[in-house]
Amino acid sequence: MVTKALTETVRYLLIVVVSIWTLAPVAWMVSLSFKGPAEWYAPNLIPLQPIFDNYISLFIPTNPIGGSYFFTSITEPITKPLINSLIAAGLGTLFAVLVGFLAAYGVSRYRAGGTFIIFFTLLTRMLPGATFVAPLMVFYASIRFIDTYAGLILLYAAVTLTYAIWLMKGFIDEIPPEWEEAALLEGASPWTVLRKITIPLTKGGLAASALFIFILNWSEFLFALVISVTEVTTLPVQISKYVSAVGRMYGTMASLGLVATIPSLVLGYLIQKHLVTGFTFGRIR
Amino acid sequence: MPKLVVKNLRKMFGTFEALKDVSFQVEEKETLCLLGPSGCGKTTILRIIAGLEVPTSGEVFLDGVLVNDLPPQRRQIGLVFQDYAIFPHLSVFENIAYGLRVRKMSEAELVKKVRETASLVDVESILDLPSKKLGLSEMQRVAVGRSLALDPKLLLLDEPLSNIDAKARERMRTELGKLQKEIGIATVYVTHDQLEAMTLADRIAVMRNGLIEQIGTASEIYDNARTLFVANFIGSPPMNLMDCEVVYDGNRVILKSGDLALDVTEFAETVRGKGEGEELVLGIRPEDLSLDVQKTNPSAIEAKVQLVEPIGARSIYHLRIGGLTVLAKGYAMPDVNVGSNLWATFNKDKVHLFDKKTEEAVV
Repeated sequence: MVTKALTETVRYLLIVVVSIWTLAPVAWMVSLSFKGPAEWYAPNLIPLQPIFDNYISLFIPTNPIGGSYFFTSITEPITKPLINSLIAAGLGTLFAVLVGFLAAYGVSRYRAGGTFIIFFTLLTRMLPGATFVAPLMVFYASIRFIDTYAGLILLYAAVTLTYAIWLMKGFIDEIPPEWEEAALLEGASPWTVLRKITIPLTKGGLAASALFIFILNWSEFLFALVISVTEVTTLPVQISKYVSAVGRMYGTMASLGLVATIPSLVLGYLIQKHLVTGFTFGRIR
Repeated sequence: MPKLVVKNLRKMFGTFEALKDVSFQVEEKETLCLLGPSGCGKTTILRIIAGLEVPTSGEVFLDGVLVNDLPPQRRQIGLVFQDYAIFPHLSVFENIAYGLRVRKMSEAELVKKVRETASLVDVESILDLPSKKLGLSEMQRVAVGRSLALDPKLLLLDEPLSNIDAKARERMRTELGKLQKEIGIATVYVTHDQLEAMTLADRIAVMRNGLIEQIGTASEIYDNARTLFVANFIGSPPMNLMDCEVVYDGNRVILKSGDLALDVTEFAETVRGKGEGEELVLGIRPEDLSLDVQKTNPSAIEAKVQLVEPIGARSIYHLRIGGLTVLAKGYAMPDVNVGSNLWATFNKDKVHLFDKKTEEAVV
């Protein structure tokens, strides 16, 4: 009896510790986003004088924050970076998932590429991005892809394609080939089988992979920083630009950081129905 | 013309030879059973016929047409998988209707056809259920119904009863048998259960290691097993097999096995080819040994009971005859126990003889 109470206490203690550890930075961000410049370096969690200026200045950049003017390089509201992020991450994810699904299907059912193809594609992700960002920039410059939507979208798709293939192959492997073969014998063409049998059954996996890849693309910083100049700056890049002559604008960075999480949350909420179906689906025996 | 002709099929999986050289035919309305232990290649044959695997060499003819290069969706063959492969995200109705929808049949016709098929396999009452809620025997019927909805030329069944518990299996076996007679479609049926094979098939092909050892009707295979393997595989309890050698004693021909000496002078003709001392294997099925408490038959041999297995009206007696353990199936004799003495008579008409080396039947 004593040991049971003990383990329970330890468990709850651990949960509390891990929760604080995980959520503390988020809590600090929330706190910062409501603080004026005077308090940005202060250790108190609750702002003594809460303000909304940090959020307002995201959309109206010339609005003084906490009553003082900060000279920054930002002259535009965040609407453009927001849209850029949505386009780049959204379309990048779409292409990655589309191509990735078909590739995964080939690898899973037809053993395309041989036995080690997954390993080789994963290898591409084992190189840190920084190692090839310079040659990439040179290449992009030569084909005039710098600061273009096409450049960024293609890059995001290419880089996350590996994850897409890897994740979705797992989900496709879960579907017994017999079901597809049964459909074939019913007269369906391989494409029909894909559309009517495989995709409906892997919907959950597709949704989960799509969300994961979207978050990857959405929070991608390095390549966006290098590729974009003015036209295709994404939100992470925008956050990094909130500096002034006298220091970084932590309050505004915090507020933008929080605002930037909203699309991912919305997407997750929208597809959660499919996520649940995907993960609780079991064999029909 | 035969509905299905399979000629010299050979299939390699890497270096593993799954099928060595398989040939057989199935006539219209005939049910052929491929019977054999796991791994003998029977499912591979089924998949090759359906078009899901490509043979390394050999040909498959449907209605006289070579179909080797025809993809599975165009072969008009129905296949019921071992685990039924029901589409879980569709209802029973939609499962059966699947092929019809692919062919873009009109809705009215489709509904009629699905209902017809459903009544054939007795799933009318559960047509609207989602497939996830079905029990095993219902799933099996839906799977069969789905294959039949398209009026296929040939029906293939891959161990359809192996997932069902013993009690339900008997009922399903009878139902399947009735269904086959009703529909009258050429069927190839794969199983490792000899009882299923014997009851459902018009002909049985016994397979081992990628080869067919014998094809014939159930009684042909039972009474005239051509190889040792077939003799041993069919029959429950299995045939008693005893190594013996031929001894010529004057006019008599005797098969000696340990202390057992069986006079087979009546069959001297067939045994003649064998030289003195040649090794053979004597086979006799347990039910072909007559047992009696007294020596009523002059050629009866003394046997000591080692174990009695009661199986209802009959019992299986484990006997020790001249140093060998022999199983006999006879009527339950209440006073016979372990240690009792019985007299066993070999029914000479039912004696099988196999060459020890080639394992082929001599008689």
